[in-house]
Amino acid sequence: MVHVRLFGLFRLDSGLKELYAEVESVKELYPILLAEARKRRPETTVTARDIDGCVVLVNGKQSKKSARLCDGDEVMLMSPVCGG
Amino acid sequence: MATKYGGYMGRVVEIDLSARTVREYPWTDKDRELFIGGKIMGAKILCDSFTGKEKPFSEDNRIVISTGPLTGTGAPSSGRFNISTLSPQTGFITSSNCGGSFGYYLKRAGLDALILRGRCPVHTWLCIENNRFIFRSADRDGLWGLHVTESQERMALLAEQEWGGKRGFGQLVIGPAGENLVLYASVLSGERAAGRTGVGAVFGWKNLKGICVTGNHEFHVFNPEKNAEWNRKWFRYLRRHPLTGNQLPRLGTAGLVSSMQMRGMLATKNYTYGRYDDFEQVNGETLAEEYNIVNRGCLTCPIKCARSVNVDGREVKGPELETLGLLGGGILNRDLEKILRWNHELDELGMDTISCASTLAYAMEANEKGLWDNGLAFGKTDELSQLFEDIAYRRGLGAELALGSKRLSEKYGGKEFAIHAKGLELAAYEPRRAVGQGLGYAVSNRGGCHLNGGYLVILEGLGLFTNPQTRHAKADFTMLFQDLMEMIGATGQCLFTSYGFFPGFLLTRPNGAVTRTVNAAIPYLGWALRVVNWFPLLLHIHVPVVFPQTKAFEYAVGMPMTFGKYIRCGERGYTLDRYVSTRFGVSSKDDTLPRRLTDVPQDPGDPKSRVPLEDMKKTYYRARGWDKNGRPTQRTLRKLKILS
Repeated sequence: MVHVRLFGLFRLDSGLKELYAEVESVKELYPILLAEARKRRPETTVTARDIDGCVVLVNGKQSKKSARLCDGDEVMLMSPVCGG
Repeated sequence: MATKYGGYMGRVVEIDLSARTVREYPWTDKDRELFIGGKIMGAKILCDSFTGKEKPFSEDNRIVISTGPLTGTGAPSSGRFNISTLSPQTGFITSSNCGGSFGYYLKRAGLDALILRGRCPVHTWLCIENNRFIFRSADRDGLWGLHVTESQERMALLAEQEWGGKRGFGQLVIGPAGENLVLYASVLSGERAAGRTGVGAVFGWKNLKGICVTGNHEFHVFNPEKNAEWNRKWFRYLRRHPLTGNQLPRLGTAGLVSSMQMRGMLATKNYTYGRYDDFEQVNGETLAEEYNIVNRGCLTCPIKCARSVNVDGREVKGPELETLGLLGGGILNRDLEKILRWNHELDELGMDTISCASTLAYAMEANEKGLWDNGLAFGKTDELSQLFEDIAYRRGLGAELALGSKRLSEKYGGKEFAIHAKGLELAAYEPRRAVGQGLGYAVSNRGGCHLNGGYLVILEGLGLFTNPQTRHAKADFTMLFQDLMEMIGATGQCLFTSYGFFPGFLLTRPNGAVTRTVNAAIPYLGWALRVVNWFPLLLHIHVPVVFPQTKAFEYAVGMPMTFGKYIRCGERGYTLDRYVSTRFGVSSKDDTLPRRLTDVPQDPGDPKSRVPLEDMKKTYYRARGWDKNGRPTQRTLRKLKILS
């Protein structure tokens, strides 16, 4: 089971803060996240492209979307930001 | 009009507060061509009057309140103005940039800048209507001692009586902290603060509670049609840009908390760590989801980055990233509602939230280490509202905390964890995981300021993802960004307009091949950038799509302006600031960071997680044309036309 946490605009748009999923790569998360977002917030406009634009961190380290995941991993997805 | 250029009102006045006299200050078109406005103009005026012997709290100290040529001309986010003076925190020249409406109304009164010298013999506030300068007693009018909002409301009523009716106006006021000379007191324009470096304390020492200004002068721009058309395009670009049109309006600067956490850049427990376990309790997403009422912005701003929250049934300004970070993880507080309240209280008292929070964190650690028995502890936050008031009124422990972390560490010890540069506390970006930002903090003209330091975190993980630990090219990027931001501020615009410089796809496609290539290439661009920094005038071009500033400047002002000239003007301003500061003894020895950041790795298992400051400093001085002691050479000063 992988623990997924969401931040940034994707979180605001999808209404999702976190979820748990049985997946083997980050890419496998996309349809699960989309389905969950649409279930949680039917009017949401998020797309796979929005998820694709997120920065991915696996256990605190920046990773590629093809990265393999193991049981117990923590995945953070965050829309990139700057400016303060 | 005393100028051939558009955008300017053509008039600068100097007010002697001691003698209550007003005189014209000579400021020619030649000065406008070289020193533009805002911060650079302020530095030039102070350069012409300071010898290096002046003290912040003395009649010789001057306050320059200056606008830029674009202030109020309809360009995006152009409601800015600047306050320059000698900082009581650092002891040398400083500036504080501010939004709100004061700059706009100062120009409506026909003024590009106000210079304040001397000291009011009694507590005073100044009411300006075009050419009428009225000195009123702040005691008799019941203003002295009031908190900021009360001061603003009462001052507005009194000003309307003075002017004989309701008028649009701008205000500057200080709160109790400024009146009582708290070294990091701020000045407020509406709900926006000229927050840093203690300019409010200089107002307080001069017995000046505030200024209220109105007027009916018209703005003139060089080419009204093209100016309006260009600004329309620019507004559209900013609204469509993923950062200025989406990210900042929806999450504000607070949106950075989570990103900084992930990058190990979130100052935690007085910069002991770069990550805060409870960051989700105090991040921008929680603020947006549970507390934000509406987004707010300054004059002509399409970005509207300010938050608006509810405190005790009143809609008030919400906290910025720096306040969230330093009053959250900085002191191990996980209660966001408390931060909303403290942010409001500190604004009402007229205090800089960054310096206040960082001083508090220092005091907590000094107590923890047994250096100073003050009763404060990380995570113990129930009495802080009372403590903030005690600071503003300089009572008990508050009287000591009013001095800031530098002076306290000199008294109690613990200099290695007093997190300041040149006496000014650092913002919430932990530089051991963004070493270019570390260089910026150290060499910044006004002390530990993230913006005046060049804001390299934008390349090092908060936008682009260049290796944050490498020192390669960081000095050259620091110089370029400092110069660009210097000039943007000088024209009267908000620095956030510069985010359009980063093409949207670099931000929205961080995993794309182009973005990855750019990130990988940046550390190898040092020498190419050095050529740009040394010979910017070779860039005799406009970059209109991503950098509309130069064309906007030409249409509004009528002064030729290329991208290269824009950089050169910024460089002149930055070096001028440094040149004036060297008269007060500033040199390489002051361009330092506390040892915690340079000598102690953030991650004990990663020796690279510290700031390799000395190496980067040498490269930076070379790029700037300063000598090894960090002083601008005569050749550089002549090249930049600072010396003739």
